[in-house]
Amino acid sequence: MNLKRTWIIARKELRGLASEKTILLAILLQLFIALFSSFLMVGLSAMYDPSAYGRVSGVQYGVGITGNDTILPGLLEDNPSFVPYEMDLSVALAALKERKLAAVIWAGGTLPDDNGPVTLTLYTIKNDIQSAVIEVKLKETFLKYEQMLRDIRKDRITEEPIPLRPYRLVTTNTFYEFIYGLLIPLLLFMPAIISAGLVIDLITEESQQQTLDTLRTTPAALIEIIGGKIGACLILIPVQACLWLLLLSLNRILIANLAEIILLVTLSSFVVILIAAIFALHYQDRTKAQFIFSTAAVILLLLALAFPNNPLNLIALLAAGSPAPYHGAVLLASAGLCLILTIIVRVVVRNSSRV
Amino acid sequence: MQMLHQLLTLSYWEIRRFFSTMSRDLLPLSVVLLILLVVVSGFAAQSGMHLQDGLYQIGLDKPEYLDIVGYDPRYLTYDTSSYAAANPREVGVDLMIQYGQIFRAQGEKARAAQKSLERDYQAYTDRVYQEQEDLFAAYPLWIENDYVISELDFLATQGGQQLVVPGQAALEAPEPELPVILVDPPLSSVPADSELLRMSLSDQMAKDQDINRYTGMLAQQDTLDNPYKIPSLLSPPLPFDTIIFIFVFIFPLYFTSQFFMMSIMNERTLRQGEALIAAPIRPIILVLGKMLPYAVGMIFIVSAILCSVQADIMAIFPLIPVILFFLAFALFIGMIARSYKELSFISIFFSTIATSYLFFPSIFANVHIVSLLSPITLVVHVIQGTGYTLTDYIYATSLFYLTSFILFAICIRNFGEEQLFTESGIIQKLTLYLSGLISMRNWWFSLFFIGIMCIPFVLMAQMMYLVLFFNLPMPASLLLIMLLAAWTEEIAKAAGIIALIEALPSFLNLRVLIIGSAAIAAGFLFGEKLLLFVTISQISDSVFGAALFLSIGMLWMPFLLHMVCVLITGAAVLYAGKRALPFGLLLATIVHLAYNLYHLQGWIW
Repeated sequence: MNLKRTWIIARKELRGLASEKTILLAILLQLFIALFSSFLMVGLSAMYDPSAYGRVSGVQYGVGITGNDTILPGLLEDNPSFVPYEMDLSVALAALKERKLAAVIWAGGTLPDDNGPVTLTLYTIKNDIQSAVIEVKLKETFLKYEQMLRDIRKDRITEEPIPLRPYRLVTTNTFYEFIYGLLIPLLLFMPAIISAGLVIDLITEESQQQTLDTLRTTPAALIEIIGGKIGACLILIPVQACLWLLLLSLNRILIANLAEIILLVTLSSFVVILIAAIFALHYQDRTKAQFIFSTAAVILLLLALAFPNNPLNLIALLAAGSPAPYHGAVLLASAGLCLILTIIVRVVVRNSSRV
Repeated sequence: MQMLHQLLTLSYWEIRRFFSTMSRDLLPLSVVLLILLVVVSGFAAQSGMHLQDGLYQIGLDKPEYLDIVGYDPRYLTYDTSSYAAANPREVGVDLMIQYGQIFRAQGEKARAAQKSLERDYQAYTDRVYQEQEDLFAAYPLWIENDYVISELDFLATQGGQQLVVPGQAALEAPEPELPVILVDPPLSSVPADSELLRMSLSDQMAKDQDINRYTGMLAQQDTLDNPYKIPSLLSPPLPFDTIIFIFVFIFPLYFTSQFFMMSIMNERTLRQGEALIAAPIRPIILVLGKMLPYAVGMIFIVSAILCSVQADIMAIFPLIPVILFFLAFALFIGMIARSYKELSFISIFFSTIATSYLFFPSIFANVHIVSLLSPITLVVHVIQGTGYTLTDYIYATSLFYLTSFILFAICIRNFGEEQLFTESGIIQKLTLYLSGLISMRNWWFSLFFIGIMCIPFVLMAQMMYLVLFFNLPMPASLLLIMLLAAWTEEIAKAAGIIALIEALPSFLNLRVLIIGSAAIAAGFLFGEKLLLFVTISQISDSVFGAALFLSIGMLWMPFLLHMVCVLITGAAVLYAGKRALPFGLLLATIVHLAYNLYHLQGWIW
C-alpha cells in the first residue's frame, strides 16, 4: 500500500466534500440537534423552574384551601411565594378554572395523631406549564408538613435513617450532569455516525456509478483507493471533534483532558468507520449497506452503553476531569479492534479485486 | 383507463425491483440483526445506561453511608476516616461526608454532585421508611392530584395571562366570574391495604430515579392505579407518551421514504431511467407509479402500529399528510442530490427538521393551542380518547398537504431529462426547477403564481419559529420571531426574481423588475390572505399572528411593503450582480422588520 497514492485519493474525496458544501449541512444539523436536546432538558426544566428566569422573585401564587381544618394555611404563609385563601371548594375550583388561583387544596378529615393517613387533594390546571411550577413549589411546603406529621407520630417508627445534612446548600439548578454526562459524549460521537455514513456513500458510489473501473486504470491499487476514502472520513473526526470542543469552550464549558478525548474519539470512531466500510465493500449497494449499517450501529451503541467504562462513559469522565482508570485499556482495545477490522477490510478488498 | 394501467404496471415493476435488490444476501443478515437488536435492547434495559459511572468522587468517614451512595454508580467512594477536618479539595474528592454533614469542594461539579447526593439521600430515606411496619407513621401525608381543564390560546399569552408567570395575588380571595358549579368533595380514603401501597410506592420510586437524574423535577407519568403520592414523589409529569409516539411513527416512515429516495436516485445514476423517461408515459404517471408502493407500504406500517396499540382508526388520517410530506421531500431530494453523500446529508438534515416540526408542538399536547400545529398531536388525542374536530384537522394538516402537493407539482413538472441528468448544486438545481415554472409569454403571471406557491413553505418555517420561541419572555420572543419571519419571507420573494433571471437571462431591466415585484407581491399577499382565512385565524388574531403575517393595516400597505422589499432585492441583483443577493436580502429584511416594528409598537414599547 502506497501512502502517497492513498493520500491523493483522500485529498480528492475531501475536495469533493468541500466543493459540494454539504458538509456544512451536516455541521448545521449537529448544531440543531444540540439545540434540540438542550431545549428538551434545559429549556423544559427552566420552564418548570421559575427561579431560572431570575425575575419572578416577587411573584405570589394564590392557593385556595378547602375542606377540613388544617395547619396548611399557616405553612403556606411562611413561604413568600404563596397567598392562601380559605374558601369553599366549588367556588375555588371555578376560580382556578378562570386562572384566578394557581392551585386548590382540599384537606381530608384525618387528625395528625390518628392511625390513618392524612390526605390532601391538590387541584391544578391540567397539563399546564404554570401548574408544574406550582407543584414544584408546593412540594417544599408538603415536605415540611410531612416532617411535622412524622414527628408527631415518631413513637410508632422503629428505624430512622442516618441523619445527613449539607454544610452549604446548593441553591441554583445545575445542568452539569446533563452537559458532561450526556451532551458532550453524544456530540462527540455524532461525527462518527456521519463519517460512517459518508464512507458507505463514497465506496458504493464508485461501484454503482461504475467509476471504479476508471479509477483502477490509474496507478492506485484498490486497497489504496479504499484506504484513501476511509482516511478522508477519518480525518474529519478530529476536525469535527475539535470544532465541538471549541464551541463548548466558547460557551464557558470547561473541558479537561482535551488531547485524550480527541484520541479516544478518533480511535473509537475509526472502529465504526471500518465496520461501515466492510458493509459497503460487501454489498456494493448504498441502500443495503446503509440499512444494515444503521441497524448494526444501534445494536453496537446499545451494547456499549450497557457496560461501564464504554467510550462514551470515558469521555464524560475525561471531560469532567474525573479519574478514568480504564482509559488506557479501552484505547488499547480500540486500537486492537481497528487492527483486526483493517485486516478484514484488506481481505475483503483482495477478494473483490480478484473478481 | 390506459393511464391507470400504466400506473399499476409501473408500481408492479417498482415492487419487483425493490424485492429483487433487497433479497437473498440481505434477508438472513437482517433477521439476525433484528434478533440481536431485541436481545441487546433487553440486555441494555436490564443493565441500565452506563454513561455517567464514576463521575463524582466522594469520601465517607463511616461505611454506613454506603447505604446512601453505594447504589449509585455515579459515585466513586473513598474511605476518608483518617482525614478528619480536612477539606474535600485537599483530599481530592468532590464531596466528603464527615460527622453527618456534607462538605463540598468549590465549583460546578461539586455542586452537581451534592444535588445528586441529596436526591440519593431522599431515595435512601424513602427506602428506610418504606420498610416500616406502620407505613402511615413513616408516610403520614398522602396527596392526590386532580386536574381542572382550562386550555390556553395564543390570545391568552398577550392578554396579561402569561404561561409561566402569573400576576400578583390579591389580599382577598378571588371571585370567579362565571357561575359556580357545585362540586362534590373528594372521598378522602387512601387504599386501606398498606402492603399494596408499599408495592406501588417502591414502583414509583424506581421510576422516579431514572428521569430525576438530569433535572430533578420531571417524573414519568404514573401508570399505577393508586392516585395517592407521598410529597417527595410529587413531580409534574413529562409528556412521555408523546415523545415515544413521535419516534414510533416517524422512524418507519423515514426509512420507507429513504427507499423511495434511493429508487429515484438510482434512476439518475448512469442515466438508468432514460428509457423510462423516453417512454410515452406522462411524468405524473411515472412519479405516481413509482411512489404508490411506498405510500401503500407506509400506510400499512402506520396502520399496523395503530392496531398494535389498539387505537381508533381515526388516528390514521392525521398521518396521511405526514406520509405525503415525507414522500414529496424524498422525491425532491432524490431528484436534486448530486451524489450519495449529498443525498445522505440533505435527507438527514430534512428529516431532523421535519421531526422537530412534528415534535415540538406536540410536547404541549393538551397544554396550549400551539400543539395543534402538529398532526401528531391529533394522533395523541385519538389515542387518549378525546378525538379531534374537522377544524382541528384542517388547522393541523393543511400546511402539510399544501407543501407536499406543491412540491410534487414542481418535481413532476421538472421530471425530465435535462433536469434529472444535470449535475449542479442544490441552489442551482432549485433555481433551475423554479425557472421551469416561468412561461416566456406570461412571465408576470408565472411570478404571481410563484408568489402564491411560496406561501405554504414560508408559513411552515414561520410556524417553526413560533413553536420554538413563543415561550420566551414577551418582547424577546416577538422580536426574534419577527426578524426570522421577515428574513424567510424576503428569501421566498427573491426566489421569483432569481427564477426569472435564470429562465430569461438578459430580460431583466428596471421596467420588468417593477412589474415583476408587483406580481410577486400580489401573489404573496393573495396566498397569505387565502391561507390565513382558511386555516389559522386562531394565531393570526393574536399579536404573534400580527408579527408573522402582517394581517393588520389596509391591504395596500402590506402590498406596497412586499413590493418595495422585492424591488430592493431585485435592484441589488440587477445593478450589482448575483453576488449582491445576500446584501439585497439583508436590506429588504431590515426594511420589512422596521415596518413590522412600526405597526406593533404598542406591544413592545
